[in-house]
Amino acid sequence: MVVAASLLLAGLAAAARAQDTIPPGGVRVGITYTPGTRPALAVARVAGAPFDSARAVLERDLDLSDQFEILTPPSLAARPGDAPDYRVFRAMGADLLVVLAPAGSEPASVEVQLHDVRRGALVRRTTLTGAEGGAERRWAVHRAADEVVRWVTGRAGIAASRLLFVRTGQIWRVDADGYGLSQVPAAGRPALSPAWAPDGRHMAYTAFVRSGQPLVLQDLVTGDRDIVPSTEFGLNITPEFSRDGAHLAFAHGTEAGTDVYVYDVARQCCVTRLTVGRFSDNLSPTWGPDGRHLAFISTRAGTPQLYWMDADGGSPDVAARFDYGTTGQTNGPSWSPDGQAIAFHRDVNGTPQLFVLDVGMRTVRQLTGTGRNEDPTWAPDGRHVCFVSSRSGAQQLWVLDVETGRLRQLTTSGGARLPAWSPRLAAP
Amino acid sequence: MTRSIVRSWERALVPLAVAGLWACGPKPPQVAPQAARDSVVAAARGDSLAAVARRDSLAAAARRDSLAVAARADSLARSSREAARADTVRAQVRQNVVEEPAAAPSGLDAASTVELAAMVHFEFDRSDLDAASAAVLDRKLRILQQYPRLALQVAGHCDERGSDEYNLALGERRAAAVKRYLVEHGVAEGRLTIVSYGEERPLDPGHTEEAWARNRRAEFAVTAGAQP
Repeated sequence: MVVAASLLLAGLAAAARAQDTIPPGGVRVGITYTPGTRPALAVARVAGAPFDSARAVLERDLDLSDQFEILTPPSLAARPGDAPDYRVFRAMGADLLVVLAPAGSEPASVEVQLHDVRRGALVRRTTLTGAEGGAERRWAVHRAADEVVRWVTGRAGIAASRLLFVRTGQIWRVDADGYGLSQVPAAGRPALSPAWAPDGRHMAYTAFVRSGQPLVLQDLVTGDRDIVPSTEFGLNITPEFSRDGAHLAFAHGTEAGTDVYVYDVARQCCVTRLTVGRFSDNLSPTWGPDGRHLAFISTRAGTPQLYWMDADGGSPDVAARFDYGTTGQTNGPSWSPDGQAIAFHRDVNGTPQLFVLDVGMRTVRQLTGTGRNEDPTWAPDGRHVCFVSSRSGAQQLWVLDVETGRLRQLTTSGGARLPAWSPRLAAP
Repeated sequence: MTRSIVRSWERALVPLAVAGLWACGPKPPQVAPQAARDSVVAAARGDSLAAVARRDSLAAAARRDSLAVAARADSLARSSREAARADTVRAQVRQNVVEEPAAAPSGLDAASTVELAAMVHFEFDRSDLDAASAAVLDRKLRILQQYPRLALQVAGHCDERGSDEYNLALGERRAAAVKRYLVEHGVAEGRLTIVSYGEERPLDPGHTEEAWARNRRAEFAVTAGAQP
């Protein structure tokens, strides 16, 4: 119940939080490092290994943020709560040191500290919630890792996020570090194209049922679900929420073609048609960060290509330039959270490859070349992209750091497609 | 051709005000006037569904003779049937009942049944019908003309090569092309429904040119038999 209303409120709250997490320029807790090189960071070991599982998660999170050179700390561990010996870490070339230490009198209470090794000072700390070994603690470690990234770079990390994707016609989820793979009960067979609401609690997706393919809105916590009004019949695909959660854009197919529509989630009414491509296909809408523009795929000029338009359907125009008859089919667009890039896939010699459009420069850059690579989705940090790749032999999810080119495999079994990356999540 | 689609959206716009599950919080008190304002705004832009629906209803009002009255009575009946169907869909989704379309017995002889089920195939990323496809459809036309109660569902399918989501739109276009051909050759529009399965239901699980060619198809299912 109250799905739509809570969606909107949570969306607005998320937007407010998001603003809070971006500090004014220059606030970098006094740590300086040469631009273009990554600071070297070590996560200290503690004798008796009281926080070993948290330490392992934290170190991996910081590594996967792609913001640091992770150094292996000396195996000679300090006692819990001891002040770190900065000389040791300075000698191994560390700029930053992260320490897990007891906090307060509660035995289970742990804090994560960030030390500036060169200055020899503790610069930031945050306390972990939850009991050792529990899901809440694991998530608290992810949140702390994201905070460490924010303290150093000004922008939070992505450890406390997860992905929805499709496997054998069902919706699955997996944490950003590959942990917690599990199926999400959903209506329809298959269920396709999951999309996160910005509150991180609801999703929309296409459910294949007897009448057609309605769009379903579902509460991920309670499992409550309902159909987006007016999508009971016919083809209703590729949903995506606006960043404030107030609108849901999608494509509705009829005998006269497929067009982009928008549903007003906030007012729980008013499906408005945005494109008028008679007998052409218009689909895969993706919102610009300010909610005033949408990029989408259209076949109005023949093959599917990337266009954009105003959020009321005005001024449609080509977004990624193409040569008629030579540029391959273009699909699966995803507009980055910072608005500066749109990732998509485009056929190169009959095989889809990832590309990214620089929104300001209007230039297009190819990101992949091995196997099939398709359906990109941006991480909330705007620098990592998850996509489907066949490079391992089967279709699996991979994560690419667009800035460094570092690539890692996220899922390893069972096939995967149509991933959607969540916003940062407050709780597991 | 767009009439029934427009109706379903027209109908959809009204019950939004009573979409209870969505509106547990305080409801906007004046939904209908707001919707009316919306449709005026939309009509001003001249391209929205609301505008199309409005034009449609104005045109309907203009030719209000006895036939139109009869048609309107029919449309009201159909629209309440549709509303009931929409409720069924909602209930199915909430309870996650996945129901396969129950194929109606055609009530025809074996040869005609086979003829009705014969598939139509397409070129890669195309939805146009070639001569062979037209011949397949012409044989169905004869049966459809002979048995005016027969109704079919046309299902559009794609091979695995294109994008998953784009293929849903392409499958829709293929089914629509088949329906358009049959309607242009005299089959009443209401006897044909379309659905797209994209690349979700391959006939041939292989990854060869032959498998792909087999999978780019329109399938036909009988939704109402020839006999009363």
